[in-house]
Amino acid sequence: MEPDKKVQSPEKATALSVEDRAFLQEVVERDRVEHHGRVSYMDILFEVEHRYGNFLPGEVLREVARLVGTSVAQLNGFVTFYTMLSTKPRGRHVIRVCTSGPCHVTGAPAVMAELERLLGVGEGETTPDGAFTLEGSSCLGICGVSPALMIDDDAYGNLTPKDLPGILAAVRAGGAQ
Amino acid sequence: MKKLFSTQIVIPVDSNSVLQGALEVKHLLEETIRTYNLASQVSVVETGALGIYDQGVVLAVFPDDVYYGNVTPSDIQEIVTEHLLKGRVVKRLAIDRSLSSRRMVEKETGKSQQKIVLRNAGLIDPQSIDEYIARDGYAALAKALAMQPGEVIQVLTDSKLQGRGGAGFPTGLKWGMVAKEQSDEKYIVCNADEGEPGTFKDRLILEGDPHSIVEAMAIAGYATGAHIGIVYVRGEYVMSIARLKKAIADATAYGLLGDGILGTGFSFNLEVYRGGGAYVCGEEFALLESIENQRGEPRNKPPFPPQRGLFGKPTVVNNVETFANVPPILLNGSEWFRSFGTPSSAGTKVFSLSGDIVNRGIVEAPMGTTLRELVYDFGGGITGGRHIGFLQTGGSAGTVVSERELDVPLDFSSMKTSNVSLGSGVILVASEDVPLLPFLAEVAHFFWHESCGRCTPCREGTLQVKTILDALVSRTADPAALQRLSRLMNTFTNTSFCGLGQAVPLAFESALRNFPQVFEQALAASHVPEASAESV
Repeated sequence: MEPDKKVQSPEKATALSVEDRAFLQEVVERDRVEHHGRVSYMDILFEVEHRYGNFLPGEVLREVARLVGTSVAQLNGFVTFYTMLSTKPRGRHVIRVCTSGPCHVTGAPAVMAELERLLGVGEGETTPDGAFTLEGSSCLGICGVSPALMIDDDAYGNLTPKDLPGILAAVRAGGAQ
Repeated sequence: MKKLFSTQIVIPVDSNSVLQGALEVKHLLEETIRTYNLASQVSVVETGALGIYDQGVVLAVFPDDVYYGNVTPSDIQEIVTEHLLKGRVVKRLAIDRSLSSRRMVEKETGKSQQKIVLRNAGLIDPQSIDEYIARDGYAALAKALAMQPGEVIQVLTDSKLQGRGGAGFPTGLKWGMVAKEQSDEKYIVCNADEGEPGTFKDRLILEGDPHSIVEAMAIAGYATGAHIGIVYVRGEYVMSIARLKKAIADATAYGLLGDGILGTGFSFNLEVYRGGGAYVCGEEFALLESIENQRGEPRNKPPFPPQRGLFGKPTVVNNVETFANVPPILLNGSEWFRSFGTPSSAGTKVFSLSGDIVNRGIVEAPMGTTLRELVYDFGGGITGGRHIGFLQTGGSAGTVVSERELDVPLDFSSMKTSNVSLGSGVILVASEDVPLLPFLAEVAHFFWHESCGRCTPCREGTLQVKTILDALVSRTADPAALQRLSRLMNTFTNTSFCGLGQAVPLAFESALRNFPQVFEQALAASHVPEASAESV
């Protein structure tokens, strides 16, 4: 992986604003109500990750750890276990290409190769403009329309390599999050 | 009171259909119906998947019983003006309904089919609790609440229902174990972390009939003395989570969840937790760890979850499909349920058909249905009229078999008797054009990526398997590679900490057994590159 392809967001690593703290507190409190006094780190971190550009900056994790009453180390251990959560900066859109059996059989390798060519990055990397992070994924559970991928929360199926430029263009056009 | 409409158009808006444009079609359809002033006679109803995935966006028009396939927005005008206004079927879009009924409803090829799990999917609006109730929904809960908890468990035990997630543990026995534990709190957990590659049945149940899970979990709570239920849904299943949350809210509003359900003293509440993309969380203890805000790593067994489960309390953990069987069993009786299936395995199985098969999708068929029936009768054969290269049954943690196994009846005993695994009901078909070794390398890559890392045999073993398969693919394997692969398989079986590690060998051992020539040819054609001869 070439280092200049990584997206750095140094401004995200600075101290949290008052608004940030209020937002995080609200997310945690809302989750506590939903789970009858317990909390779900997963629920909280999904929502938080969404706000901070598809990853969890260190300062944010520190504050969430304080709010849920655990150590930063424990929370970090949790985050780094689950592939849908990230402590490393990712693009504005995360592309998850299913590479598991059913998609493999029906053409996932060609889909992945074409995405790498179109985006100019390899699996696990982010485009220089910060628009897309390309990830390989285990089965997404939409094998009826394989090969398939998800971009953020949206699924795309029955793909051929020639469908991909249009999909990327549509996401770019509609996607100034 | 709901308005009565003379015509009803049903459109599936499950994830698969939505990504093929179902919502766009639905919105345009509603708009066009309004334009032609038909809104008082024609209703458009969202439903879960019809189990038809190879026909694009599908519409069903009732009571005409006409199905349209591959519908695009440009077809809507014609459907409205021709069919709805003039009563003329748009023939170029009509699809043979026997296609869907063959796969989901009626009898075919002498084998009677019965929808038990998928009794409502595609027939009702999954977001309407009234429609669920209209089809005997929550009647099983009412019936259970009038029985003794022990009687409820006895019905399930007599039904011989076994867990549908892959392990096949008797459900009645599991509930009975939790019921006899003395504890201030107990939990009912639904494993909806559907991650076995090629499995997409739980998604269809959750999106198409979420109330069936809500009802079954409440029954489990009553039978075992639990008051809290948790559904753990994989994080990618955005629509499943939304549908389930709505079902829980509606059931609570109707007094079917919460305190004093149906005027009895029984209280039960349900919550949804989501997964974060970890295959191992399908393992019951890893799943419970994840709910407890831990890394999803398995625990020592025993004690098992019925003794010490979630938060250390007695816990029932059942798969989505297992729960979906519970209300019909209570309503129709254990004898009725046992009348489907085989002596070793009662009831039906929901199969997920994928790969190079004409009719990809979900099929509910009695236990004991053969691979041939699934692939050719329900599946419509191989795409492009090609031949079968290989099949994988049961998931990535399942067996790789050849055409020779096509007549094996699939049930819980088929692994023991014929070395064909049932697993979660995956039937993945690869045509003769798909090379076997790169496929197995992908399966190896999957296990390597998804190993939780807790135990050495799985963490390091999956890396070794992947390295060997990659070397076979690139024809750089050393002469001892296959012996090493076989030895590794024994290590997995004998020393892995949890069931997932122990299941890794299924695919590779069966592939070695059924396609030895593929491995031998790759080995014979291999040249070890000098620089890397010391690796592996």
